[in-house]
Amino acid sequence: MLNDYFSSGKNKEPLKPKSKDELPHSLLGISYTEWRDAKKKNHKWRNIRWGFLLFMNLLFVVSFTFDLSVLEGSLSGSRLIGFYLMDPFNALQLLAISSTTGYIGHLTMNFWIGLITILLFWFIFGGRGYCSWMCPYHFLSELAEKVHLYLVKKKKIRERTYNIGLKLVFFIGFLLLAVLTRNLVFEDLNMVGIVSKAMIYGPSLLLLWVLAMLLFEAFVSRRFWCRYVCPIGTTWSFVGKLSPVAIKFEHDKCGYCLECQKVCLVPHELWFVQRGKATQDVHFVGSDCTRCGLCVDVCPGNALNYAVKGASALV
Amino acid sequence: MEKKDSGLNRRNFLKSGLVATGALALAGAGAFMLDRNTVQARVRPDFLRPPGAINEKDFIYGCIKCGLCVQICPVQAIKLAKAGEGVAFGTPYINPRIQACDFSCDALQCVETCPTAVLNFKPFKEAGLAAVEKATQEAGADFAKVNPFEVQKVAMKQIVRMGKARVNTETCLAHHGLGFKGVSRGTDFRGIYRAPESANASASPLAEKQFDREVCNLCITECPIGPKAIVQEPSRSNGNLVPKVLDGCTGCGVCVMVCPTRETSIIVEPS
Repeated sequence: MLNDYFSSGKNKEPLKPKSKDELPHSLLGISYTEWRDAKKKNHKWRNIRWGFLLFMNLLFVVSFTFDLSVLEGSLSGSRLIGFYLMDPFNALQLLAISSTTGYIGHLTMNFWIGLITILLFWFIFGGRGYCSWMCPYHFLSELAEKVHLYLVKKKKIRERTYNIGLKLVFFIGFLLLAVLTRNLVFEDLNMVGIVSKAMIYGPSLLLLWVLAMLLFEAFVSRRFWCRYVCPIGTTWSFVGKLSPVAIKFEHDKCGYCLECQKVCLVPHELWFVQRGKATQDVHFVGSDCTRCGLCVDVCPGNALNYAVKGASALV
Repeated sequence: MEKKDSGLNRRNFLKSGLVATGALALAGAGAFMLDRNTVQARVRPDFLRPPGAINEKDFIYGCIKCGLCVQICPVQAIKLAKAGEGVAFGTPYINPRIQACDFSCDALQCVETCPTAVLNFKPFKEAGLAAVEKATQEAGADFAKVNPFEVQKVAMKQIVRMGKARVNTETCLAHHGLGFKGVSRGTDFRGIYRAPESANASASPLAEKQFDREVCNLCITECPIGPKAIVQEPSRSNGNLVPKVLDGCTGCGVCVMVCPTRETSIIVEPS
């Protein structure tokens, strides 16, 4: 049982694919396309998530504008009703530099408490859950993605993908840069920080960098920053490696339509939805998953759902 | 088939990895230049680090640019540097000519709130506690009459060293024996401060205050630190009563904010 919690099941023997008669649309007695398109307009989780994301980001703004002391600071570092919260990659860079300079001993207890609190919180709610439920750039990027998908559909542009391992190059690279230059280099390029601070403290010239990236994502490579670059996302994906809250996949409800992979930010994590790939009746989506719920919304057979990993074992 | 795929993948990865490394190197070079320029640009009168700032080299990486100090400041003296302002992007600074730090928060809240201690509260805390201890000892049997909060806040603000004020003798009104009457920075000036004689706990607009001085001495009378920081004394050259900055100056910049000449005649040189 414990083994199931830790393993993705990727290196096991695949299950036998379902026959045509066993597919969900056949069982329901409707045509495949009718079955597949049934939930095309369902946006339940996306709307809940956007609502939460906008609420939290506006809470920062309102808190400062009206001096409410509810959620102070920005996404780089904040205080929620007096409790400190730290951005983990920012903290990681700072720790890397300050352990070489000896500054590490000066960091306040609030810093450590804030860092541990946020790590624990997002460990429970699924690491990169931060990306889709908190990050304001993720929201903007989703809008750019709509433009991108439209252009691809109209055959104006060609889809470009890169190796997903790039994000590790950036993660290590930015950490090294921080240590070498003794400067939080990434913080000056950080989409999350720039957008968050622009909302709270007023726009700055660096919004042009955000705009440039959004245009690049719209016209060249889909979700480039979130998929291949952002080391904050990578940090969260490490944190979320063993998170209990995850998207659960049930093979018996799957019709191999691949609608979920089409909407997914990290389709490689949904490897088991393809015919003949699943190795278990139940799979949990891996650590790059942002728990955004787009696949849950779109899945015609309701084979994908939010779940608490290991809950069935406890019950 | 599979073998060919993974080979392509590896080549693809190496290629984009190379591009990524190039991009990172570029970012690094940029940061290095920025760092050098900002440390040099640091010494200028319109740019003071908030109270308790540690040395600039550690400050640059230690500050995570969260803006908590900005948010807690009751007079909103602290701003985050924007791109193109010549100092490290996103780090906090005070331009005292626009809005000085007037200590009306009483307890150096920006320093206390800083999670990474680049605004270092430790020396202030120690100074405050030492002062309370000293005051209670001196009071002897009357120790209950000592208000620890008052003692603490006076002791804490006195050890702030954001810089030191310097008078420009060429433009200073007092150096020319001139007085000042009226509103010092015009009626539409937005800066606020808590004047030393004010009974209010909060700051009030400078624009609401009328001055009438035979010899201009605003920088002396409005100083939140008082005679330990700045006094009036006869000038050596012509005997006019002029301001003299002493070692007790905290560099808060209230004198810069209140100075009525068109260009300020007193500036704070960052420490």
